[in-house]
Amino acid sequence: MRQAVAQTTREIMDTRFQTLTPEMSISEAVRIFEQAGKETGQPVFGMMVTDAQNRLVGMLSLYDILLLLRPKHIHIWGEMDDLDISGFLEEACRRAKPLRVGDIMTTEVITVTPETHLLMIIDIMIKKHIRRLPVLEDGKILGIVYFSKVFNCLIAGLRD
Amino acid sequence: MPVIDHRGVLQGLRVRDAMRRQVIQLPRQALLEQVIRHTIKYKVNALLLVDEAQRAVGVVSKTDLMGAYYAGLPLTTPARNIMVGPPLFCRADDSLEAALDVMQAQRVHRLYVAEEVPEQAAGVLAYPDIMGLLYRFCHKCERARHRPGASGPGRSLLDSLKVREVMTSGILTYAQTDTLLAVMEGLAAQRLGAVLIRGEDRRPVGVVSKTDLILAYKHGVPVAAPARTVMTSPVQASDHQELLLNALKQMIFADIHRLFVYKDQPENLVGVLALSDVARFRSGTCRACVTSRIRIR
Repeated sequence: MRQAVAQTTREIMDTRFQTLTPEMSISEAVRIFEQAGKETGQPVFGMMVTDAQNRLVGMLSLYDILLLLRPKHIHIWGEMDDLDISGFLEEACRRAKPLRVGDIMTTEVITVTPETHLLMIIDIMIKKHIRRLPVLEDGKILGIVYFSKVFNCLIAGLRD
Repeated sequence: MPVIDHRGVLQGLRVRDAMRRQVIQLPRQALLEQVIRHTIKYKVNALLLVDEAQRAVGVVSKTDLMGAYYAGLPLTTPARNIMVGPPLFCRADDSLEAALDVMQAQRVHRLYVAEEVPEQAAGVLAYPDIMGLLYRFCHKCERARHRPGASGPGRSLLDSLKVREVMTSGILTYAQTDTLLAVMEGLAAQRLGAVLIRGEDRRPVGVVSKTDLILAYKHGVPVAAPARTVMTSPVQASDHQELLLNALKQMIFADIHRLFVYKDQPENLVGVLALSDVARFRSGTCRACVTSRIRIR
């Protein structure tokens, strides 16, 4: 018998999730990323950021952290093939550690509700290049939808 | 790739050859907190404010943000209150030389680049972008290999020039107990990007840059706080006899625009080496392209 494909956010969202706070250091945030990855059995590349009242105030992704590690003038260094830059990334990591989550998080966050249709989620993820969507109801965080979960859900429907 | 003319590397080059396509911009309703966050995140010195039609309406620089901190403006202030506008534009097809002339005449560090739609920034042109381009051409220039001190392919002036030949003498210093307010006054008056902080024994203990100050602004540090609260340590410095190549590498590693320069011993700081100084010497000292030397004031 063919397995039914999930239709709504409620069916595919993860209700167990960890969050960061804007005051946390990047170093601490990365530690929580790793911890969450171990708990869920798959790498975590982004998390919601909440304030003291547990309200969603932003998202922090690995992309945000990579921006910090990229040299300021990479377009110049890219031309300088005669320069030995071994050790640069280690130094960039050292500089990034004390910065705070709130200094680099993305605050323009797109959210969905538990009743948002899967097709709408697919549309948002494609158009906005988003891999995770917080699920809110009346301002309260209920869960998060991961791109991988959406994909796994569709795979079920695509099988012969 | 454009043809390299030995009379001037810049000759024949267009703005589109050097410009960067990534323009960091925010809607004109953006608040100062958002502007600071984007400035830190994307490591830019200024960003563009745009209207609903994506037309540029103004520029907010780190200097403007420092001014807002100095004036005590709340972080919830709309950025348009401190923006400078309208932004200066050039066209992607303009000659690079003409664009540089405008930057010099208008005393600006960047021009936004319009393509099909006027007032919409398709790119941005700043000194570092031009420097990267010149570096590429200089390395491929046959004449560069016959310069004094250079031997063999890939050898360049950086391999022989010393820091002292390129640095700017004199530095602005503050005590670690001086307030951020005083530091900001000094930075604004001298049009500098950073100042040196000395300890009680007069030894250099840190640096306060505009980036440090706008982060302090975002973190709610009072302007009456002492400089040591936000300074970056240790001081990135180089011996004045050091090879320019090594000093440049040090700047790359520290991801900074300037190095302090000492003579004889690290406590005896005598000047500053800016990235723009390095690039200026790197790009126009050779007779092959002396007419294209970038003049930075």
